Amino acid sequence: MRNKVVIKTQISLVTQYGIEYAVHVITDHFGNLISKVCECLLRRGPLTRSNLKRYTELSDSQIKNCLLVLIQHNCVQAFAVEQTGGFGEAPRFVTQYLALFNNIVHRMRFSKFMKIVSQEFDGECLDLLEGLFEHGRLTLKQMFDRAKSAEKEGKPVTLDYVQEILLKLVTARYVERCPAPEPVLAPKDEAPAKKRGPKEIEEPKTIEQEVLEAAVPVDGIRFSVLDPDVDGEKKDIKPSSMTAREKRKYDALESDEFGTTATVVYRANFEEFVRCLRYKACIDNVRARLDDGAATVLSAMLDATRNEETEVRAKRSASLSLSSIYEEVIKTEAGRNMTLEHLRASLTELGTPPLVKVSDDSYSIEFEKIIELAQLEEMESIVLKRYGQDAYRIFRLLSREGRLMETEKIADVTFVEKKETPKILYKLWKDDYLHMEKLVLAAARQTQFMLWKVQKQNLWKHILDEMFHATLNLRQRLAYELDQEKELLKLPADKRTGALNNRNIRLNKIRKILQSSQMKLDDSIMLFYDF
Amino acid sequence: MSQKRKRSDAKSPVNSLTDHERILYNLIRSKQDMGIWSRDMKQETNLPDTIVNKSLKSLQTKNLIKEVVNIHSKGRKHFMAAEFEPSKELSGGAWYADGKLDMDFIKIVRKQCVKHIVRLKVATFEGISDALKRSGIFKEDLTKQQIEEILRAMVLDKEIMELKSNGSGVFNNIPVGKVCYKCVKEGGSVSEPRIGAFASIPCGVCPQISLCTPDGIISPKTCVYYTKWLEF
Ligand code: SF4
Repeated sequence: MRNKVVIKTQISLVTQYGIEYAVHVITDHFGNLISKVCECLLRRGPLTRSNLKRYTELSDSQIKNCLLVLIQHNCVQAFAVEQTGGFGEAPRFVTQYLALFNNIVHRMRFSKFMKIVSQEFDGECLDLLEGLFEHGRLTLKQMFDRAKSAEKEGKPVTLDYVQEILLKLVTARYVERCPAPEPVLAPKDEAPAKKRGPKEIEEPKTIEQEVLEAAVPVDGIRFSVLDPDVDGEKKDIKPSSMTAREKRKYDALESDEFGTTATVVYRANFEEFVRCLRYKACIDNVRARLDDGAATVLSAMLDATRNEETEVRAKRSASLSLSSIYEEVIKTEAGRNMTLEHLRASLTELGTPPLVKVSDDSYSIEFEKIIELAQLEEMESIVLKRYGQDAYRIFRLLSREGRLMETEKIADVTFVEKKETPKILYKLWKDDYLHMEKLVLAAARQTQFMLWKVQKQNLWKHILDEMFHATLNLRQRLAYELDQEKELLKLPADKRTGALNNRNIRLNKIRKILQSSQMKLDDSIMLFYDF
Repeated sequence: MSQKRKRSDAKSPVNSLTDHERILYNLIRSKQDMGIWSRDMKQETNLPDTIVNKSLKSLQTKNLIKEVVNIHSKGRKHFMAAEFEPSKELSGGAWYADGKLDMDFIKIVRKQCVKHIVRLKVATFEGISDALKRSGIFKEDLTKQQIEEILRAMVLDKEIMELKSNGSGVFNNIPVGKVCYKCVKEGGSVSEPRIGAFASIPCGVCPQISLCTPDGIISPKTCVYYTKWLEF
């Protein structure tokens, strides 16, 4: 009863090997001590400092320093929970620390993120962003100092200039202001929740979602840059479109944590990068499934609706009229010679299965459907490689039908020998790919039927876990290969001749294949986890 | 009554049946195109094995019953009255011959379908069906259901794909919204499905993944699948 905040530590898709991988990343980047603290938080959920001390058996100051590093690098977020005091005591606030799994895993994606920005911006923007990746969080002043130290002759760096670059990145939402350092979670009423209509039933929020919601400032502040010409006055460069509610929250924030420019801290906005990669995955998938024309249309629609999107994992885009899509299409190089008729044809193509849905003459992108099909494709190829062509056909049938089907019927549709079918189904069931139900009919002679369907939720989670496992394996194998050749690597390049040179070539090949496999596998992990 | 029977079945061997044979014959006939397993007959009639076996032989020589294959249990002796054809449950359906999937036949049908779809670029069901008929390759025309079944399996194999006509370009002359088929790969060769990132590395297809740990007996360091993969 003392602590009224209901804390759910379960984050649905974070699996055993997901955690193992995250710990590996932290160990790799920050060493054992910090990873010990981080692992403890990942495994046990949010903890107070005293509990952290108890579980890790580290000293107070060690824990404090570890947490500071983790917070600096956006891997941990602090929050306060109000606890009702005992009889006659005032309520007090207890600070807890929460490991941010997503942000930890994003650390391995910096090169992908950089690539996105490099397509839009020039070198100075990339330098600034690189600084943010390297240091986690920076104030404008720190960014300036950093730029200054790398100043090239004849190109003096001014504060104004750095601010201009920052503003560019903030406007594009690739950079954001840091969230509040320690938001307070309001205690929950224990009264039963208001009755809602059946449509409104939402999944309960995880603790992570709740904390982040409380910590992240409203968009108007999150994506604004404070002018450093202070003179006692604060001059903001902020979008003028702020609502009254946002303004109030803005002013409140300005008066405390974000009081002066010196303390306004910025960081890379991972959400935006994930969104970009999600878009890219959608476009790539449509291109592979249909053709370039359809991909051009989809990408134009994305450009037109991007600003209206509020969630990273939006189910569908805002809707657009045919003419506004066309307007956007002909802006792009690939779409310049597209006729209206061509556009209509592409939209029809995108209509089955509904990757773009039309209602009342307006079109919206069904992100969820596109992502679902892409995930399915990945799953199917796993089934094909592991269980063969017949199992592949059966799996595709069941996943497309999405309902229970009877053995005999499955054999008929998939052209698999009737005697083989139950064996394959059983194997897939045993490995948790399928769900099975027995149906016993009392009247007929053949009394027992077996019904099967794809066990989607569990299977997806299981495969995601295996993918994290496989990523770790790729990394471990690479470390092992490098370790095997450490003598060779110590030699200066000009000494690696003859047989040594061959070994060197081999090692480079191995490195290349393991690293690129890792990058591609990470795309698939994002497909299942982030999109 | 007896006259009537005499007139209709005067020469029918049914008339010369023993009592036991008649009981069994009636039972088998009552099962129509499902037929019945000899063991079940023994149970239902309560007749001893030897009599059942003898009677069945006699009924067979009189051509009143026949033995049929039950695809679910090929070893079992399954009987059916001569005038019935085995049901789909027993025979496996149109694609089965002698209790086995008729793979050769299926292959030919699939090949023909692909051929016509490639030629037509995109084809409607009717287009494919017509082309098959006109080709004259098959002794008997395939039923609508058979063609549908074949096309569906080919979609599942990602050999062809279903799409809706948009009325223009290759879909010219096909009404908008009509379901059409198109080959996934140009030229109609069977395409390997796109292999995802996970399935392209050893761990993605590894049967041991649940036993594999960094320092265990099965580990990425000592993994033979990896060693083979990284052989240059
Ligand atoms: S490292 Fe080798 S043994 Fe381990 S899961 Fe991968 S392929 Fe299998």
